[in-house]
Amino acid sequence: MKIQDLKTINERYEMFTSCSDATETGCEFVFSAKDNLTSYDFETCAGSRILEGYRPPFDATAISKMREAGGFLAGKTNMDEFGFGTFSANSGFGIPKNPYDLNRSCGGSSGGSACAAAVLEDHVSLGVSTGGSIVCPASFCGVYGIAPTYGRVSRYGLIDYGNSLDKVGVLSAKAEDLAKYLPIISGKDQRDPTSCVQPDFPKEFSKIKSVAVVNEAIEGISKDVKQNFDESVEKIRSMGIDVEFVSMPVLKYAMPAYYILATSEASTNLARYCGMRYGQQDGDLTLKFDDYFTSFRSQYFGDEAKRRILLGTFTRMVGYADRYYNKALRVRQSIISEYKKVFADHDAVMTPTMPFISPRFDEIQAMSSLDIYKADFLTIPPNITGMPHMSVPSGYSDGMPIGLMFTSDHWNEDYLLSMAMEWEKSFDMIKPEVKV
Amino acid sequence: MKIGLEIHVQLPTKSKMFCSCPTEGEDIPNSRVCPTCLGMPGSKPSLNKKALELGLSLAKMLGCSIPEQTWFSRKTYFYPDLCKHFQITQYDTPIGEKGVFRLGDKDIRITRVHLEEDPGKTKRVGDGTALVDYNRSGIPLVEIVTEPDISTPAEARQFLSELLTSIRHTIDLPADGDRSVRCDCNISVGKERCEVKNVTGLKNVENCLKYEVVRQTKILKAGGKIERETRRYDEERKVTLPARKKEFEADYGYIGEPDLGIYNIAEIAKGIKLKETPIAMAGRIQSQYGIDAKMAKQLVSTSTELAALFEEIVASADVKTAVKWCSGPISANWKQYEPSMKDELVCIVSDFFKGGITDTECGIKIKSLMTGVDAEATAKASEDIEALISKLLDENPNVIEDYRKNEKAANRIIGLVMKETGGAYSSSDIVASTKKVIESRL
Repeated sequence: MKIQDLKTINERYEMFTSCSDATETGCEFVFSAKDNLTSYDFETCAGSRILEGYRPPFDATAISKMREAGGFLAGKTNMDEFGFGTFSANSGFGIPKNPYDLNRSCGGSSGGSACAAAVLEDHVSLGVSTGGSIVCPASFCGVYGIAPTYGRVSRYGLIDYGNSLDKVGVLSAKAEDLAKYLPIISGKDQRDPTSCVQPDFPKEFSKIKSVAVVNEAIEGISKDVKQNFDESVEKIRSMGIDVEFVSMPVLKYAMPAYYILATSEASTNLARYCGMRYGQQDGDLTLKFDDYFTSFRSQYFGDEAKRRILLGTFTRMVGYADRYYNKALRVRQSIISEYKKVFADHDAVMTPTMPFISPRFDEIQAMSSLDIYKADFLTIPPNITGMPHMSVPSGYSDGMPIGLMFTSDHWNEDYLLSMAMEWEKSFDMIKPEVKV
Repeated sequence: MKIGLEIHVQLPTKSKMFCSCPTEGEDIPNSRVCPTCLGMPGSKPSLNKKALELGLSLAKMLGCSIPEQTWFSRKTYFYPDLCKHFQITQYDTPIGEKGVFRLGDKDIRITRVHLEEDPGKTKRVGDGTALVDYNRSGIPLVEIVTEPDISTPAEARQFLSELLTSIRHTIDLPADGDRSVRCDCNISVGKERCEVKNVTGLKNVENCLKYEVVRQTKILKAGGKIERETRRYDEERKVTLPARKKEFEADYGYIGEPDLGIYNIAEIAKGIKLKETPIAMAGRIQSQYGIDAKMAKQLVSTSTELAALFEEIVASADVKTAVKWCSGPISANWKQYEPSMKDELVCIVSDFFKGGITDTECGIKIKSLMTGVDAEATAKASEDIEALISKLLDENPNVIEDYRKNEKAANRIIGLVMKETGGAYSSSDIVASTKKVIESRL
């Protein structure tokens, strides 16, 4: 199989942190993977300078399954440091550019994966979602992206952000790729016990007959996204699917609960990065070990990583854990219950993916951290519940893609996959103009 | 004085707690490591169920209440030998709580029993340099925490020694010396307590506690106040010293370990059958067969296998016969016992009981089987020694009279036999034979 000259394309889009020189692969298909999935043949840094130079001694399960299926790993895609971001602007290795407008973001944190899926021909990319990091960039880059049920794909070899939230998924410009490759990377893996409780992936995909639209989700979204969403609702109805508007007031607690859980876990996961054993190790060895760790972590972690370490450490401290961390765990349960109620009558929940089209980098710079966190208010609810969710391209505003998100009950990825293929038949995708 | 202990014991699993690295092997630093026990990015833990079962056996042995479910937690602190900078341990759901350990006629209450992973080892070499060996990283540990029910340093040592015996018996922990146990010792002479962290071995625990008693008593007598603090024990100088405050003032920020699931341990615990402890076995044998306490204890303390053999012999003969042979030639030759001899020993004694062989023949057969010396030689040796004893008794007739009053009189003959035979017979053989010949003349 021939592949395009990745190095040249990458100079323009910066979607890869490292990529192959090969132009001929001798393999059945070409794929890329987010740089927080370990691979023995590429450096793996998870977007962080602290891991610069790290070559893992093992492949992530998802990557080895893709290779076994005949895939050629062409490169590792750029991302926000450890997945901490919505625009892939928090990477230690440059910022991937939106294929439709180089002054705009790819979304994040799997921004490089969405960019590669949009720009490269016949390309599928593995992404990872903790709070929306697959559907957000899929929406901004106009491609299909699915994050499966938590535990569907082994996390072995995934560099942890929030272990109880992280999910490996698939992005591609073609809906059928999602249906083809998600089952390939799914399945039980003894090396990740949380993957071992899943039912088999269904051979026959069920179809969505009824969707619920969440009232709270269409408040506070931009005008162009709202207009597109209204059109999508009509389109879904025309496909013979029932649409009902429901209220899910508890969703407003999803965001604070998510940031508490995700940062608490992240702050423990990031404790190991200290300039010993792997990655950067050029610190001053005459320092006492704790001073060495501190100086090293101060130098190589980015601002957002530091912010989340502080936040997460605070919320699990003695005296605060009950008020924050333990309460957030209970909130997660009540959100799951709320979804389960909706799924008693509907096959899927439908909302826009992101509240606006991809912003320009100068607009992002003007946003506060809180503004950026709030941008995830639609993608966080399915993520905190561990439910599968998918973004499909649903239209364009000023040439920039808009996404539509479907969420289904745990283990019901097949409903989403059949929807993607059905949707693709009647959607006119406008491919970005790829200049090299 | 109040003493409470936190005891860490490595569990004897073949592989580590969360990966498949072996727990034993050649002592080459960092040779038994993998991405998981090195905490490499992307690695995940996967629980070794054997560690859970062994921990549950101990919780059961200590009479703990075992919750329906358990999970693990992350205890976060920064130290070079802790490679993830969090230790996977248990916080809110220990596998056992509220147990008790019987020490003599006193109960030592057990607060909790939980599982955790061992960190690596830091070795300081010269000024300012330290090397870290991660072979130990991820080896399963059980931590047993007691209430402050121990009254003296000597009692602490006695408790640890008996606890270790019970632990070894319950989970087949090899007896590789005292140093396999690590303790945090809490001690208060007055109101405030001090904790001495990470003391290795029974002797050091006792010595460190003794030192603390003296130190705290001196401070109190001088009208001073004991500072609540964490100390460490200097094995060389046999003193306790204040530990660096920074190391132990941490807020560990415990959260649940999301990579591991929730385990239904009540169900697993139900399926675990505990081996009878030696103390319990002695008590049972005493009451079940109506033998005296000393005899029961002697059988069990020689070996629980001997006590088990005793029970089999009772089943195919009777209690009196079993006591006679088990306490006599079988226990005299116990060092040479192998499990493969069991059935034949039962056969020999049962033969005697049914009248198939004589007393002397039975003794010779047992000895011959256990020592591997053939029956004829054994018989010859036995005849020789018995003839000698007879001769000596004839020469010292008052021994028999004295023996009626005090069995110790036999020692005179025993001494003479030993002198004459010059080490050709084992002392246990001489003792047994002498008693036999004397009793035949009573």
